[in-house]
Amino acid sequence: MLANIFTKTTRDRFFGLSAAAVSVAVMFLGGMAVYSQIDVSFYYEMPQALLDLMGIPVGGDVAGLAFGAIYGLIGAMTLAGIAISMGSGAIAGEERQGTLGLLLGNPQSRTQVVVSKAASMVMLLGLASLFLWGAGLWVPSLLDVDMTGIHVGALVFHIFVNSLFYGFLALAIGAWTGNGTVASGTAVAVMLVSYLAAGILPLVESLENLAKIFPWYYFNASVPVINGVDWSHMAILGGLAIALFSLAIVGFNRRDIRGRNTGVTILDRLRANPRTAKIVERIAGSARVSRISIKTASEHQGLLVVCVMIMFYLGLMIGPLWAILPESFQDVISQYPDVLLGMIGAADLSTPEGYLQAEVFSLMGPATFVALAALMASRAIAGEEQSRTMGLLMANPLRRSTIIIEKTLSMIAYSVILGVATFFGVWFGNLLGGIDIPISNLVATTALLTLLGLVFGSVAMLLGAATGKTRVAAYGAIGVTLAAYFAFSFLPLAESLADYAKWSPFHFYLGSDPLTNGMAWGDAAVLAGIFISLIALSIPLFQRRDLRG
Amino acid sequence: MTLAIRTESLTKHYGEVKALIDLSLEVRMGEVFGFLGPNGSGKTTMIRTVLDLIRPTEGRAEILGMDTHEEAVEIRNHIGYVPGDLAMYPNLTGRDTLTYFANLRGGVDWSYVDELAERLSVDLDVKVGNYSSGNRQKVGIIQAFMNRPQVLVMDEPSTGLDPLVQREFQKMMREVAADGRCVFLSSHTLSEVQRVADRVGIIRHGRLVDVESVHDLRSKAIRRVELFFDTDIDASIFEAVAGVREAKANQTSIVLSFDGHMDQLLKTATDHYHLVDITSQEADLEEIFLTYYRDED
Repeated sequence: MLANIFTKTTRDRFFGLSAAAVSVAVMFLGGMAVYSQIDVSFYYEMPQALLDLMGIPVGGDVAGLAFGAIYGLIGAMTLAGIAISMGSGAIAGEERQGTLGLLLGNPQSRTQVVVSKAASMVMLLGLASLFLWGAGLWVPSLLDVDMTGIHVGALVFHIFVNSLFYGFLALAIGAWTGNGTVASGTAVAVMLVSYLAAGILPLVESLENLAKIFPWYYFNASVPVINGVDWSHMAILGGLAIALFSLAIVGFNRRDIRGRNTGVTILDRLRANPRTAKIVERIAGSARVSRISIKTASEHQGLLVVCVMIMFYLGLMIGPLWAILPESFQDVISQYPDVLLGMIGAADLSTPEGYLQAEVFSLMGPATFVALAALMASRAIAGEEQSRTMGLLMANPLRRSTIIIEKTLSMIAYSVILGVATFFGVWFGNLLGGIDIPISNLVATTALLTLLGLVFGSVAMLLGAATGKTRVAAYGAIGVTLAAYFAFSFLPLAESLADYAKWSPFHFYLGSDPLTNGMAWGDAAVLAGIFISLIALSIPLFQRRDLRG
Repeated sequence: MTLAIRTESLTKHYGEVKALIDLSLEVRMGEVFGFLGPNGSGKTTMIRTVLDLIRPTEGRAEILGMDTHEEAVEIRNHIGYVPGDLAMYPNLTGRDTLTYFANLRGGVDWSYVDELAERLSVDLDVKVGNYSSGNRQKVGIIQAFMNRPQVLVMDEPSTGLDPLVQREFQKMMREVAADGRCVFLSSHTLSEVQRVADRVGIIRHGRLVDVESVHDLRSKAIRRVELFFDTDIDASIFEAVAGVREAKANQTSIVLSFDGHMDQLLKTATDHYHLVDITSQEADLEEIFLTYYRDED
């Protein structure tokens, strides 16, 4: 498997991609199994615009619902996300690891390197798409679901071409800048913004055409699962991908290769300037290395900024949107059956509280808070070990418990900052949109959300402290989060299983409906208790272990 | 007198792999102790065990009379450490890095840090990620020296240093010993250890093979001597010289593994033939091991 760049890249990426494809297929199986057991007639009554936003095609029945929600949204985003990771890692990743110079020391032209990497990416995404196609045909036959009028192949083809576009976007940015973070960050931002825009803009009649400047429009606007492949849309996406690929080759060939160097940030420039040096030194220089917790915090500034922006703007945007949505929209939503509402935290969408819960607090909120806490916690112990700085750190007169406590403090501080930002975003949004929810209820909900994030952060801390592996910590925490989320939202659909949902941490977060009822101190105490216990448990696990690095 | 480092039957197994076997060792204050062994012999495992980064399967160790596990935190007030394969935080400058570790220790004498930086000639206002490997190593060394620790534990610290800086670094180690403190220096380079150490422990396949003074070790140091003549020569004449362990003649030249007295060898050479040229170089560590410790495996 080390025969050439193509096979090595393929080998490096194969496992991650397979895991992702299998996960999507399993989720599809689970989703379709649930949908096939419940009455889905309600969705004929939903307004077209909302169906578009959820990626659910009209006229597809159970199959359409499952393909829309799982393949059209989660599957497409997963594949595009992996393509972005591959594209940004292709050139910029090797550059960051300092291995690109080594690679180019061999008789391989730069163009050959880009082409090999791109070929591997295209082939792997193709394989994953074929797998999804197979799963998309097999699962419905297994569950005996009616597939009349469903074009699985067309949907999967759209997913494939869509993922190529984002992969090549990341590849091109990485090839031009040599900066993997810029490449993946920009591509993910383009994906999320264009997904939201392609879904939301058509809701407002005058802005409908604006959606066409966003790439996600060409992926899903033609509803391929019902209408088959839209060749003109695919030509646009595919053409853009090829153009980006050519750009990548040109960009990579014309610039200097970076070594293992770190980039120069604005802070560095200010620090070098004698006029600003003194004040910057005070804020960012010696201050940020004054203790472990503060240094840890300074390392995650970028992550915090991204999370704060997501939650603040989401909160700010959702309020006014409530005010401009047509009346009929709210009327229809009020007739939703409980089964669908269960998936968005049992929210009653006809009330502002329910609307806020569905849009901000049931999915995006937990995802962002868990991402912040779990990423920080998985880097906390395991990160120092993986970057081989733990030995140096432990040569100082510190207890191992001190390191865990310091790192936990920075995680708490950042989660609280994110909580405060979320509160203000939602509060301002409510003021703008004329939503009247008591401030104390908003405070209670964001406080519970902060605690929820910390609970899953402490799972990552525990796994990282026990194993010293960031992957185990991060994926473990994400897995536990997903399981807890599904338990809370899906188990109540079946009466016999409903009680088990109360074991999920999500139950202690939203179960009491804090936007309506205010603070549930008992639930908060349970979440805080879980958090403290898991952190306390990670200390002996860390103390007992041989350290790596 | 308190010993700098003492290990009792220190043993570390990783599953089936025996990284350290029954290692007992005493390192004194006021000396530079060279810890010599080829790659993968267990040097780093031994160091990481006495620093409480990993835990022994059996046996125990003391630093300055304190148990390395029970009193790990107190011990670290008195030691400096340079890990092998040094990594630091790429986004911090050298000075930021030193400030961080100084803060974790409760302060440092910055004039001493600047003095060390000057002696090793490194600019501390560069980001760690932008240092060459040699300069990164220098920051690691300053980090270990800056608190004037009682015991300096360094795992192949000279990696990447140029010869001039190496000499200065060796001087710094000698000063620590002269000050009554201790340097524990792991290395796979015989010449470095010979230049700086008082005593040497030799480790191979996880076992401490021998501890001896550098003087004794030097007498064991085999050299690879190559002699060139203007006529064809007879190898047996050289095989008879005391200290010749192996002789390979190739018409007008001969290669010898030699640990005897050089004047005898030269006398034999010049008595019989017309000597044109001579090269002499240190044998590598593995060759010494093969010669002296072959039977102890």
